[in-house]
Amino acid sequence: MKKKLDLSYLASLGISVVLAFLIGALILAVSGHHPGHAYAAMFNGAFKGMRHLGDVLEYAMVLCICGLACDLGSRVGIFNVGGEGQLLLGAIAACQIGVWLDGASPWLVFPLAALTAIAVGGLYALIPGVLKVKLKVDEVITTIMLNTIAASICQFLAKGPWKNANKNIVAGTQQLSARYWFGGLVRGSNLSTAIFFAAIMALLVWYVMQKTSRGFEMKITGQNPRFARFSGLKTDQIVILCMTISGAMCGLVGMFRVYGAEHLFKSSISNDYYFEGLMVAMIAQYQPVATILLSLFFAVLKIGAQGMELSAGVPNQIYLIIQTVIIFFMAAERGIFRSIQARRAAKAAKARLEGGSSHV
Amino acid sequence: MDQSLIEFEHITMEFPGVVANDDVSLSIRQGEVFALVGENGAGKSTLMNILYGIQTPTGGKVRIRGKEVETFSPKNAIELGVGMVHQHFMLVPSFTVAQNIVMSKEPRKYGVFFDNAEAVRRTRALSEEYGLSVDPTAQVKQISVGLQQRVEILKTLYRGAEILILDEPTAVLTPQETEELFEVIRRVVREKNMTVIIITHKLYEVMAISDRVGVMRKGKLVGVCNTADVDEKILSSMMVGRPVLYENLEKTGQPGDPAILVSHLSAKDERGLPAVRDLSLSVRRGEILGIAAIEGNGQSELIEAITGMRSYEGRVVICDRDVTGQDPGSIRAAGLAHVPEDRLATGVSKDATAAENLLVGKQRQPRFSGAMWLQKTAAIRAYTSGLYEDFDIRGAGPEAIVGEMSGGNMQKVVIAREFSFDAPVLIIAQPTRGVDVGAIEFIHTRILEKRNQGAAILLCSADLDEVFRLSDRIITLYEGRITGSFRAGEITKEEIGYYMTGDRGREEAADEKEA
Repeated sequence: MKKKLDLSYLASLGISVVLAFLIGALILAVSGHHPGHAYAAMFNGAFKGMRHLGDVLEYAMVLCICGLACDLGSRVGIFNVGGEGQLLLGAIAACQIGVWLDGASPWLVFPLAALTAIAVGGLYALIPGVLKVKLKVDEVITTIMLNTIAASICQFLAKGPWKNANKNIVAGTQQLSARYWFGGLVRGSNLSTAIFFAAIMALLVWYVMQKTSRGFEMKITGQNPRFARFSGLKTDQIVILCMTISGAMCGLVGMFRVYGAEHLFKSSISNDYYFEGLMVAMIAQYQPVATILLSLFFAVLKIGAQGMELSAGVPNQIYLIIQTVIIFFMAAERGIFRSIQARRAAKAAKARLEGGSSHV
Repeated sequence: MDQSLIEFEHITMEFPGVVANDDVSLSIRQGEVFALVGENGAGKSTLMNILYGIQTPTGGKVRIRGKEVETFSPKNAIELGVGMVHQHFMLVPSFTVAQNIVMSKEPRKYGVFFDNAEAVRRTRALSEEYGLSVDPTAQVKQISVGLQQRVEILKTLYRGAEILILDEPTAVLTPQETEELFEVIRRVVREKNMTVIIITHKLYEVMAISDRVGVMRKGKLVGVCNTADVDEKILSSMMVGRPVLYENLEKTGQPGDPAILVSHLSAKDERGLPAVRDLSLSVRRGEILGIAAIEGNGQSELIEAITGMRSYEGRVVICDRDVTGQDPGSIRAAGLAHVPEDRLATGVSKDATAAENLLVGKQRQPRFSGAMWLQKTAAIRAYTSGLYEDFDIRGAGPEAIVGEMSGGNMQKVVIAREFSFDAPVLIIAQPTRGVDVGAIEFIHTRILEKRNQGAAILLCSADLDEVFRLSDRIITLYEGRITGSFRAGEITKEEIGYYMTGDRGREEAADEKEA
């Protein structure tokens, strides 16, 4: 069904972004940095040179798929906070496939690694999905717990049985041989051909969610599960399936990170990247198109902030401040808007009454 | 008696986007029974909430005994002698009658401890003074709804009310209980010179009890009349703004084979207590079976069980297919459509558009979903706007968000969707709850059309008039069991009340005759 462009959403997003930058400027000024210089350095950090631009796109890909995975769950009323764990497990499992099958054809290794990442991420999301549907266990709690478990498992494997003895890192697996890497697109950046697969995946998710009868069923299930069940939809199946796909997508992001950027599993595979994707999804109000566009925006901020740190000496945490302030304003916006509306209605009534009574 | 007790002057109440009261001026006299009628959303309850201080008007003044009300709060209203009995009672179920009545002005021992004996004594005195008999020591949860309402009235009297507002007081009562309530109203007006304002949408009650009647429509007061000067027809035209005709469709054809068969069905309610007990019934094609029961006697659970929304023991057959224990989707596939009693919780997705709500259930049909599940938006738009027109849904068009529609239009969305499945079995619960007079007429005609087309219809409604108007057979439920079964015309509304209250109703009636 056609959805009109929501002007009030765009307005509140725009105002929030501007305010967030102003508050960021204030913090910069108070801490002794020149806001103009810092923001200029941020801009350069994202756009100066192909290398930076490549990193922006790679990070946007990660944010986008993680954000869409979150959208998918939220659409049917389940909040997947466990993407980080699903991503890590997918990454390490896919990596180990490449290590074990070293020497085999890339045509075998690639699909197998991808399928493994999908299966591991999906299964890991299936657990909280089933618990939610069958036993009404709150998915936010279970997924957060499962994140910790997944991180510990990965640490254990990367430090123990799957440790790379040759490399001087505390926790890291064997490196993949270069023939299994996604082709690099920009020299010196993390951008690889993985982004094409990610783009196809994003398109597919958008298509299913926005254009199909199944997407329609998902939407109804998320809006009112009782009504959906009453109408004959198999709501339990829908919720579990979407949660599993959400996990599979996160697992694939892990595989992309390993085969595209890092080429082995280590802790920098993800620094809470899923949570940043989740924040993007929240700001996008779980709408796929907005999620995709905002992923680009926040990738620019993030990579730009890293460049700013190097060139201007400003800590890149300013990026997190701006991002969270935007979320804060977006959340506050509804309340503020409503109170303005109520006050305006009251005033109009009063004016009309005073005008009217003078005639009587 | 003709002295003006309450005066509303140019009352306006605006909520964002809605004008609930639009320049209402009305005066109410000491010692009269004033009925306030209007469709849902006409602004009756808002006006009374202002009088009781729950809401502060955005414009206008209220005077009580000539003095302007300055602060709007229930506390202030109570001090001015205003008491209100809400549609949903505000009693503590586990407390005794006496405890509920004295609450907020409790008698104390040594200034600290609650004096239960004194509370009981005061309750007894109060109930004798006004002739409203209650048992002060009974727990509220153990007494009937009619008696609970009496406790609510006593509570307001205990707080010194001289003006009594009753918001839809008869919605939960049997005909006998309604008659008793009217006796109470007549008595307090006659003997205590109280003033009673009764909000209702049942016009025969207006005729039976009130001295004057005010009609509201869309936030405006469209007329105030002496009840003796008008009749129900005039009032309903005033409410709707056009003449209302009740023309029942003639029944055509004879009932066919049974399409709904329920045998030995038992189900539990939310608390795990038995709600339906070993119940069996059948409904034939071309027949409407009406369930008459007071709320909370198992009718909701029975319907949820048949439609697959609640687990149960027993057997259910729909159109010769055993659907026992199946999910709602499979039962619908067997040929059932269902208008649920609570449209907001079960009947719609209020965040979706009217068109989306009309599509649900048919979204996978090939005419709406093509290759790769792609939705055929043009076909969907044509179909849903067609339904929107056919069922005379009014509002901002098929793309309007359902949650922003009026109750009547929302109900038409539900009925349009469910009736357009062309299912041989229809389960219809509270088809016109919260729906205005004009829409009721329309919905009733549609239900009778379905019957004449050969659908087997199980109808459940809290509105006895509705059950009597539509049903070919009527069963009464009491505590999850069938207590009576009648053909249309075999029984009157008054008689059926006894069956709806089980044996208890008969005993209570007998007791009162003796006393």
